[in-house]
Amino acid sequence: MTAVTVQPTAMMSGRYQRAFTIAVLFLVAGWHLAGAGGQLLNNRSAYSSFALQGVLWLVMSLAIAIGAVLVLRGTPSWRQAWALAVIVLACSTAAAAASPASQMLALEWAWGSAGWIGVLVLLRRRFSELAWFLAAAALAILSVQAYDGLNRTSLAAFLALLAWSTGAQVAVAAGVRALDVAAGKAAAAARSEHAARQRAATAQIVAAGRQARWLTLQESAVPLIAELAAGTADPGDPQVRIRCAVQAARLRRLMAEGDEVPGSLVHELHASADVAERRGVTVEIETAGALPQVPGPARRVITDAAIAILTAARSQARITLAAVAAGIAVSFVTDTGAVVSLPAAGHGVAIEQQHDGGMLWAEARWNSQ
Amino acid sequence: MEQPVTVAIIEDHPVVTEGVESWIRSDPGQRVRQVLTARDLTGLSAAPGPPADVVILDLELSGELVTTRIPGLVAAGYRVVAFSGHTDPAIVMETLDNGAHAYVSKEEGREHLVEAVLAAADDRPYVTRSQARAMLADQRPARPALSEQERQALLLWFQGMSKASVGRRMAISENTVRQYISRARAKYAATGRPAPSKDALLTRAIEDGVIKPAEIMPYRSFARTSAGPSLGAPGQ
Repeated sequence: MTAVTVQPTAMMSGRYQRAFTIAVLFLVAGWHLAGAGGQLLNNRSAYSSFALQGVLWLVMSLAIAIGAVLVLRGTPSWRQAWALAVIVLACSTAAAAASPASQMLALEWAWGSAGWIGVLVLLRRRFSELAWFLAAAALAILSVQAYDGLNRTSLAAFLALLAWSTGAQVAVAAGVRALDVAAGKAAAAARSEHAARQRAATAQIVAAGRQARWLTLQESAVPLIAELAAGTADPGDPQVRIRCAVQAARLRRLMAEGDEVPGSLVHELHASADVAERRGVTVEIETAGALPQVPGPARRVITDAAIAILTAARSQARITLAAVAAGIAVSFVTDTGAVVSLPAAGHGVAIEQQHDGGMLWAEARWNSQ
Repeated sequence: MEQPVTVAIIEDHPVVTEGVESWIRSDPGQRVRQVLTARDLTGLSAAPGPPADVVILDLELSGELVTTRIPGLVAAGYRVVAFSGHTDPAIVMETLDNGAHAYVSKEEGREHLVEAVLAAADDRPYVTRSQARAMLADQRPARPALSEQERQALLLWFQGMSKASVGRRMAISENTVRQYISRARAKYAATGRPAPSKDALLTRAIEDGVIKPAEIMPYRSFARTSAGPSLGAPGQ
């Protein structure tokens, strides 16, 4: 049951999250290829060493590829995410430091890529981790610029770049978070609908069970109650009292049959013994060995015999269940004082009894073959 | 008249001790005499004078199972009758394997405890219904092979019939029912951990004609000293 209700939620919400991850992946790869790559090629003659810049660009491409594998497999671990983050941070700082001092911010291509890769690998980790990373990347660039000489123009250019690239990165990360939450809500709604459907199905099964039990009562308990109500059955008559005891035990067993418990037969025998116990009969139930599962109709035959015997018991009864070759032997030893007329055997159950010095021994043996 | 069997009661609940004493007193033949009561096993080892013939041992003393102390008691020359609130077949089997003569659950005490003590004093097998249950439930690979008749007698006895009724059901005499049940018990004494009490029980069973030496040969060589290693015994 649990598996059925929980799975769709996790699956649905997981499917949305994957779609968002792929979208971010395209964004990051697109930016690095077209944005950063385009700028690098466009200004290739302006760099003091184009080869170094090219190598750094390739290292960051590799970082994107590794990051893509990691995020498509799930949320990267702390180590994995930060290892990549530190590598791209170093690349971005190195690329900036290797640019000509006077034109650093104009030729800078790596800062944006570093920020986007950080968004990719830290996407589903704590938001503060991404904030720290973006702050560190910005601070590194600012430090390089300060080393090259910071004036009003270069500070303005830095702030403009910061607002444009880091702002966009924060916005995308926040957007994905919001979409994740929405996907979770959608999945929860689907789950509650699924649960409602399942409740309805369960209710239907319960109703069917109730209907079956009601039909059983129609042919047994209802006529007796009707007779008692009409006065045709006299509660003082011992025969009527026995019929009442039998019906009371059956009602109790009907309730027990609905219970989902391991060892149903033992459970139902306990229920069948309830009424006799309330009459003051001491009932002990013991089992020997690992008991096999007995099918419902056979259990009915056995508990019917139990009800008949326990109704006749005077003061004590011992019920035992023993695993025997290919089945189970359920026996009753009780002081009935006389032979008991037992219900018909069947459904693989054979019933025997022996009366001996005021004690009745009866055995219902179910054979699985 | 024979000397009464002397018994020590090791039991940590005084109310149970009193109950056991009252069962002993109400035995019409006064066949058992209680010589010592103690709340734990130290009381027994500190006992002055000759030891009792039989120890009635509550298996749970101060919340602790003492089944592993049985071999020590048996080695000291006591015959042990376990008397316990536990009915778990595994505990029953472990108790018997450790050398206890009989296992009497607290529900069976009134009916069986005095008789079990007398049987133990004589090294004769005594099988309560809780013991029969444990034998029927036994699925250990080293369990002895019981014959169909022995198994059926044990089953009917476990179900709650009197031995006379079991005999009528199986169309045999009550005495033969006793034979079958005793033989099953003797087969158990021939398996598992060696103990002087088990050897005594087996010797007596052979003397009484309950079992033939050949019937237990496959399980354990009987012609060996009780202290010697038990070679080729299953379950070792």
